[in-house]
Amino acid sequence: MISLLDIVGPVMVGPSSSHTAGACRLSHVALALLEEDPVEARFELHSAFAKTMRGHGTDRALVAGALGMEVDDERIKDALDLARARGIAFTFKPKNMGPEAHPNSVAIHLRGRTRSISILGASIGGGMIEIREVDGFPVSLTARDPCILLFYEDRPGMVMRASEIIGRRGINIASMEVLRRGKGDQAFMRIDLDAPLPHEDVAALRQMPGVHRVHVLDRVAGGAPIT
Amino acid sequence: MARLQTFADLIELAREGTRPLDEIFLDEEAAEREVPAERLRQTFLERWAVMKDSVRRGLAGGKSFSGLVGGDAKRVIEFTRGGDIAGGHLVAKAIAYSIAVLEENSRMGVIVAAPTAGAAGMVPGTLLALSEERGIDDAATVRGLVVAGGFGALVAARAELSGAAGGCQAEQGVGAAMAAGGLAFLLGGDSETCVHAAALTLQNTLGLACDPVAGLVEVPCVVRNGFTAMLALAGAQTALAGVRSVIPMDEVVEAMVRIGEAMPRSLKETADGGLAMTPTGCRIRNDLYQIK
Repeated sequence: MISLLDIVGPVMVGPSSSHTAGACRLSHVALALLEEDPVEARFELHSAFAKTMRGHGTDRALVAGALGMEVDDERIKDALDLARARGIAFTFKPKNMGPEAHPNSVAIHLRGRTRSISILGASIGGGMIEIREVDGFPVSLTARDPCILLFYEDRPGMVMRASEIIGRRGINIASMEVLRRGKGDQAFMRIDLDAPLPHEDVAALRQMPGVHRVHVLDRVAGGAPIT
Repeated sequence: MARLQTFADLIELAREGTRPLDEIFLDEEAAEREVPAERLRQTFLERWAVMKDSVRRGLAGGKSFSGLVGGDAKRVIEFTRGGDIAGGHLVAKAIAYSIAVLEENSRMGVIVAAPTAGAAGMVPGTLLALSEERGIDDAATVRGLVVAGGFGALVAARAELSGAAGGCQAEQGVGAAMAAGGLAFLLGGDSETCVHAAALTLQNTLGLACDPVAGLVEVPCVVRNGFTAMLALAGAQTALAGVRSVIPMDEVVEAMVRIGEAMPRSLKETADGGLAMTPTGCRIRNDLYQIK
């Protein structure tokens, strides 16, 4: 069931939960995946997102998220100037993603000094979001609950080794998804957890042979900040 | 929340126990998140404080970013102080407070989405108006806020709450239905009465288009929050009087989803139809974005 705190919430800067708060969270997820400061941000906006971009402050919110701001940050309205002051280049352009795409879809491409990331996501109402693609892999991510993303070389035993590291810590795997581009090619694992994974275990995942990169998404988009 | 998926489940749960609606919702959420229910209640109190503050800031006035709206909440409340009003203080305050939140929202001020930013006015607007007029304290008012949130969560389990997916009915219609449920609860309605208040309110917003002028959350959104607040009061009033929704709430929600699917994209937040495409709506957009 959807949380009551997602319905009476988020506490946010206006004017639109889909187009301001949701947009901010989508690029905040991209930033969390980039894991370094961006030097360039490119945004491609579909349908309703593109049509009402300026009026809803979607442009400011997307850049604000890429700067690491939360949805209630009153600096969101100044995000474009803040990004310029930090020397971060940003561009927006409309892109027709087809009739099947959610009207509030955006492709976000962030480039840092050492790496780049691309995500495709949608703002699905009330500030809630869904990530549909990460670096070309089809996913289904809400970024609300603790989640680990692994990019690795397709080979036997990877799921077992990853789940063993998590299981040793006594953390429950809520759900997972395993994909690959082809046999022996780049593969992808998404692991949803009932609790955040401690740093040393994330480090252990990173040291697994064949692992290219590991991302931690810990309640970037709302979820349960309460303890 | 395995046992609580629909409004029918809610009525069933309320019938078999002694827990009031707010406790049912908080217990379910507490179990899901593995946190104490009292901690959640505290979070709701904090959100209520932000909501009240957004009303206060909204009433102070000031124009939106586009300059299109602003100052209407203040106009309504000041007119009320003059005493010459249609509908009494509760009605006037509910309108003014609901508009105030949306005016604050249009200035990129801090608000609490309920369930969305464009529909953030009705829940705080009506609950605050009622609490002031009836002398209900914050702790008691927050119980109504929890019920409103729970009602919204039950709708959101079946429908996407965005103008882009479902039109304004899925935003302000749902916000007003949430408010109606919270109001009926605070006025002593039993669980069935509260659900009927929401059903009567939601069914009277079905078909409402999302056609914002220049794509802004300003016209008609800001003033509309004041008007849909009236529907919430009407929903609570009629349900408490014993009026029953012939179509059960779960089915009203299904109807809303199907109507949303049948609506053309031009009436779902794209600013390509309705009020947005009137001669005046087009002129405002062209002036704003310097389109020739």
